[in-house]
Amino acid sequence: MAVEYQPRMVGFLCNWCSYAGADMAGTSRMTYPPNIRIIRVPCSGRVDPLLVMKSFEQGADGVLVSGCHPGDCHYTEGNYHARRRFALLRSLLDFLGIEKERLRVEWVSASEGGRFKELVSSFTEELQRLGPRSEVSP
Amino acid sequence: MRQELGQQIGEKARELLSSGVVECVIGYERATDGVTARPLFVYGVEDVDRLIFDDTCIHNLTRYLLNRRDKNTAVVAKPCDSRAINLLLNEKQIEREKVFIIGVACQGVVETRWNQAGETLQARCQLCSQHTPVVYDFLVGEAPPEQPPPEAYADVLEMEARSAAEREAFWQEQFDRCIRCYACRQVCPGCYCSECFVEQLDPLWVGIRIAPAENQIWNTIRAFHLVGRCIGCNECERVCPLNIPLSLLNRKLEKEVWELFGFQAGMSAEAVPPFATFEKEEKLGIGE
Repeated sequence: MAVEYQPRMVGFLCNWCSYAGADMAGTSRMTYPPNIRIIRVPCSGRVDPLLVMKSFEQGADGVLVSGCHPGDCHYTEGNYHARRRFALLRSLLDFLGIEKERLRVEWVSASEGGRFKELVSSFTEELQRLGPRSEVSP
Repeated sequence: MRQELGQQIGEKARELLSSGVVECVIGYERATDGVTARPLFVYGVEDVDRLIFDDTCIHNLTRYLLNRRDKNTAVVAKPCDSRAINLLLNEKQIEREKVFIIGVACQGVVETRWNQAGETLQARCQLCSQHTPVVYDFLVGEAPPEQPPPEAYADVLEMEARSAAEREAFWQEQFDRCIRCYACRQVCPGCYCSECFVEQLDPLWVGIRIAPAENQIWNTIRAFHLVGRCIGCNECERVCPLNIPLSLLNRKLEKEVWELFGFQAGMSAEAVPPFATFEKEEKLGIGE
C-alpha cells in the first residue's frame, strides 16, 4: 500500500485572534488535517523571519503565520508590520527556490473556527501538491 | 586629475586637523603593492600627503565611523558610501555634528586584486546613476555627465525567470561554500548589532556547524536584516572569500522594496524606512 505523503506544517498563531480561532475549530468539533503543529505567539508581529527560516531548516514543508484581521490587532498595528515583513520574506524565499506558497500568511479572527479549518485543509492540499521539499543536507 | 583629487582631499584634511575640527581623517592611501588602495587613518598633518583618491579606492570607509562614535572624524565618501552615512544618521548611530564628510564625485571604481587593478569599471558602477554624494560637507571631483542608467536588475530578472528547482540548486551550491567567516557582516555599515543573532547562544538560533541548512539561514536572514537598508556598496560581496554572489540577494530585495514601497535606502537621513511604517490599506498579496 502506497503511503500518501503527509506534509509537516508549523503554524504561528497570534494569541488574541487566530489561536482562539483554532480553539474555536476544536471546541466546535471540526475536523481538519493533523499535519499542523501550532505555536502560540503574542502577535503576528512577533513572528521573526528567523522563526520561519528555522522551521524550514528543521524540516517543515510549510509555515503558516496567522494573526488578527487588519485593524483588529490587539496591539493596534502588529499585523500591519507583519504584512510588510512577510510580503518581502515570501519574495526572498521564492528567489531562493523555496516556493512562496510554502509560507502562508492569513488573517483569522477568534470566531472564525470554520475559516481556520478551511485554511489548514487547503494549505495541506497545496503542500501535498507541491510535494516534499528537496532535501537540504542538514 | 587623479592626483589632484588626492591633493584636494589632503589639503582639506590638513585644514581640518590643524584647526582641530576633527581628530582623525579616514581616507585612502596607496597599498604596499603600489597599485591598489587601502584605508588610511590620518591623525596628524604629517600624514596628509599620503591621501589619494582614484578608481582603485573601493572600500566603504563609513563602516569605521561606528568605531569612532564619540570622536570628531572626517571621512572620505563616494556617492554609494555617502548613502551609508544617511542610513547611520537615520538609525541614530552617529551624530551629524561629529562627522565631516569629504564627498567625492565618483566616476566608478574598478575591480582590484593584489598588485592588479582592472581596466573596466565594476559591474555595480556601470549600473550606477548616483555620481554625486547624497550628503557631504566638502566636495571634490566632478561627476560625469548624466546618462540614462541601463537595466539595473538584469541578473535578478534572469534569476527570477528560472524555475524554483533551478534557483534552489543554484543557491544551495552557493551556500554550501559559505564558511561562515562573517566577513560580509563585519564589513557592512548596516550590520552593527552588538550581538548578532548567529552568535546568540541561548536560544541558539543558528548552529555553529558549517552545515548547508544553517548557512542558508545565515545568508537569508543577513540579507533580510538589510531590507530597505542595504545601500549597495557591495562590500559584502567584495570581501567574501568564497565569492558568493551576495549582491544578487541584496539587489533582489532592493528591487522589491523599490517596487512595493518606492523606497531607496540612504537617500535621505529623514525618510522613514519601509519596515518602520505601514499603510493600512496597502495590498501586498498577504491574507487577501
